[in-house]
Amino acid sequence: MLDADSAAAEPEPGLPPVTERGGSRGALRLLTASGSGRVGLLLFALMVGLSLWVTFTYPRDFGVSRWSNPAVWADNPRNAPPNWTRFFDDVVPHSVRILTTPAETETIAAGEVRTFSVPIESSAAGSPGSLSMTLNGVAFRERPPALLAALVRPDGGRIRLSSVPIAAPRPGESPPFRRFYESPERVLLSSGPTAAQSLSGFFADRYPGVVISLPQGDLSPALFGRPADDGSGRIVAIDGDFELEIQAVVADPADEIAPIRVTAAGTAYGLMGTDGLGRDLWEGLLYGFPVALLVATLTAGASTLIGASLGIVSGYRGGAIDAVIQRFSDIVSNVPTLPLLIFLVTLLGRHLWLIMLVLVAFSWPGLTILVRSMVLQLRSGQLVESARALGASRRRIMTHHVFPQVAPFIIAQMIFFAPGAILAEASLSFLGLGDPSIPTWGQMLEAGFRTGALYVGYWWWVLPPGILIVLTAIAFMLLALALEPIVDPRLRRPS
Amino acid sequence: MAATVRQLVIRALTLFGVLLAVLILLVISLGATGYSDNLLRAQVSEETRALRQSLSQTVRDPAELERTVAARQAEIERFYGLDTPWYQRLPPAVLRVLRLDLGESRSLRTADGSRDVGAIVRERLPYTMLLLTSSSLVTSVTGLIVGVRMTTRAGGRLDRGVAYFAAISFAVPAWWLGILFILVFAFRLQWFPSGGMLSTPPPEAEWDRARDLAWHALLPILTIVVVSVGPYIYTVRTMTLSVAQEDHVLLARAKGLPERQITNRHILRVAAPPIVTGLVLGLAGSLSGSILVETIFNWQGMGRLYFDAVGSLDEGVIVALTFVFTLLYVMLRFLLDILYVLLDPRVRLAS
Repeated sequence: MLDADSAAAEPEPGLPPVTERGGSRGALRLLTASGSGRVGLLLFALMVGLSLWVTFTYPRDFGVSRWSNPAVWADNPRNAPPNWTRFFDDVVPHSVRILTTPAETETIAAGEVRTFSVPIESSAAGSPGSLSMTLNGVAFRERPPALLAALVRPDGGRIRLSSVPIAAPRPGESPPFRRFYESPERVLLSSGPTAAQSLSGFFADRYPGVVISLPQGDLSPALFGRPADDGSGRIVAIDGDFELEIQAVVADPADEIAPIRVTAAGTAYGLMGTDGLGRDLWEGLLYGFPVALLVATLTAGASTLIGASLGIVSGYRGGAIDAVIQRFSDIVSNVPTLPLLIFLVTLLGRHLWLIMLVLVAFSWPGLTILVRSMVLQLRSGQLVESARALGASRRRIMTHHVFPQVAPFIIAQMIFFAPGAILAEASLSFLGLGDPSIPTWGQMLEAGFRTGALYVGYWWWVLPPGILIVLTAIAFMLLALALEPIVDPRLRRPS
Repeated sequence: MAATVRQLVIRALTLFGVLLAVLILLVISLGATGYSDNLLRAQVSEETRALRQSLSQTVRDPAELERTVAARQAEIERFYGLDTPWYQRLPPAVLRVLRLDLGESRSLRTADGSRDVGAIVRERLPYTMLLLTSSSLVTSVTGLIVGVRMTTRAGGRLDRGVAYFAAISFAVPAWWLGILFILVFAFRLQWFPSGGMLSTPPPEAEWDRARDLAWHALLPILTIVVVSVGPYIYTVRTMTLSVAQEDHVLLARAKGLPERQITNRHILRVAAPPIVTGLVLGLAGSLSGSILVETIFNWQGMGRLYFDAVGSLDEGVIVALTFVFTLLYVMLRFLLDILYVLLDPRVRLAS
């Protein structure tokens, strides 16, 4: 440890000289030969596949235009567990339906009635939290269409819900009159006087003698419920199939109604649930793959490039250059990275490239010291000596005769750098220093921790990002483990 | 002996170079980005505003007021050194930091309200040390016992299991494991508190307080131990195994020495230096890791202080703590070198 320089100068007699020709093919064979290598390759291929998919399907500025844009997630339930938790928990899946073509079209004297219908699921365990529809555009020629919504209950009730006023033509406006195309109109169907009136009328009719008070604000519990049998006036949820009916009465058959979005708010959402802002965690988790791979490969690649080339130069040139490089890498390798990373990112701004730059700046020295000691061995080897005797230049010897011999080792080391880079970025993001325009797993964890999701048990928010961080790091570890025989020839099995 | 001293001196100089390099990096990044200037200017304008307010009560003439304020402002600027460029102003500040005079914080305080960063660090440091030393102790004892035991069963199922466990440990960030533990042990099972250092209200009696503190420290310590014990067991096992195959051990066995004596005197004594190295390097790693682990468990040590300083953008504290962390790290590294000399006769006697 103290005397690394002089010890490394003389090749250890027990070690076979580091010569490995055809390194990359040998490396591939090693990877497929061991169990850990195969698992590592499989995981790695999976991550690359997902990353490619994300790269091609996600918008380029996903972080700004979608992830950090509250408008995108406005309709989603907040802190909702994944849909599949319904199998062991009382949750109601969140459902969003887009209505394009009417189920029925009827021609009447005054024009045409288009009826859309949406089945809505409700069970005794829980009913939708609210019901809303969003109009994405209405175009008419003579009179504004009338839009009427009603909920058909399994116990025979038909509750009228709020209707949507559509502004009549303004003076100076020419047909067709277009409404809501620029800013979609969201209508909360499960509240308002129309629904309350219709509902209490129906209850008085269907369940006479029971006095119930409708909930304040959102009427959903009553819309999807009935009075309890014990006569206490409580409302219990109904098990059964509801149907939302939307009727559009248009004056002219050419009038257009763009796809209507109907949202039955649930308490569970999607494959992976939502966070405190209603963001679909599945989308964010997927986006983490290309980012993690980018951080890992770029950081590992750059560190390896710097570390290896300095090591080769240091070992081959010797003398003052060697001394300077060795002192320098000695100093850099003793710097505690995380505190400095925190300092620099706080000071210079939260950018992903800056994080990677600092990581590279502090991670190369280990490799330099190792490669140098290997090159010292090779320098006095026959291959290099004969190249020198033939009059090859220093640069040519280093790139053509020294580098190929240490290349397999360097590749294995490069893979070894990757998990460190991923974990460092995650740690920094977790401290709230991640790049705000590029969501990462670490940042999702940070959001969960900052808002206290951890202390109320929102496991779907804090577990999956961490598991993916660990899995990604493990994939690289497994690859590195399988390549270990290259790094340590003593482990090479006799074949 | 002289050679050893020379090596230790070189090592000390290198590590001092690390400290200096870090400080220079801090100064350049503070100065060249104009960060320090902006900071001081904000301070000056704040003080000038306060001055103008208090003067306006007594000085009625606006021109007179302006003149007095301007004169005073120049004075304040000179006091903060804003009339000199950063590369002249900051070096004295560095020297001050080197003498451990760490300046004042903007918002963070000690329990009794002092804003002296040195006092804050002195208040927090023992708590960090409590976590780090106790977890290292548990790790080293477990590692030694299990690692040495495993030597006799090398290649077995347990051996392979520990190898995988060690490999996975490298991939699991301690802070995420902490999150997992809080979810399971504090939230689901409610065996341990989810964070903090003392219950509310804290117990009165001295002894009860200590017990309460230990109770809160258990989960963070367990987190650090679980992450670091796997690699350590593996180091111990590998080192002991390679020594156990050497000739002198075979000779000791041939002499019929008791197995315990062979393990203690002939194997562990020889394998001690790398085993200790592994432990101290692990400790140095946990030092940086403590920033995150303490944050998770709301443990009011140095790491949590760092997190709070980053959160409240208290640059003075961030700079001071970056330096203190580097200092502690470098000191650990030097301790390692001294231990190495003490433990390895080959290093000690080489001349």
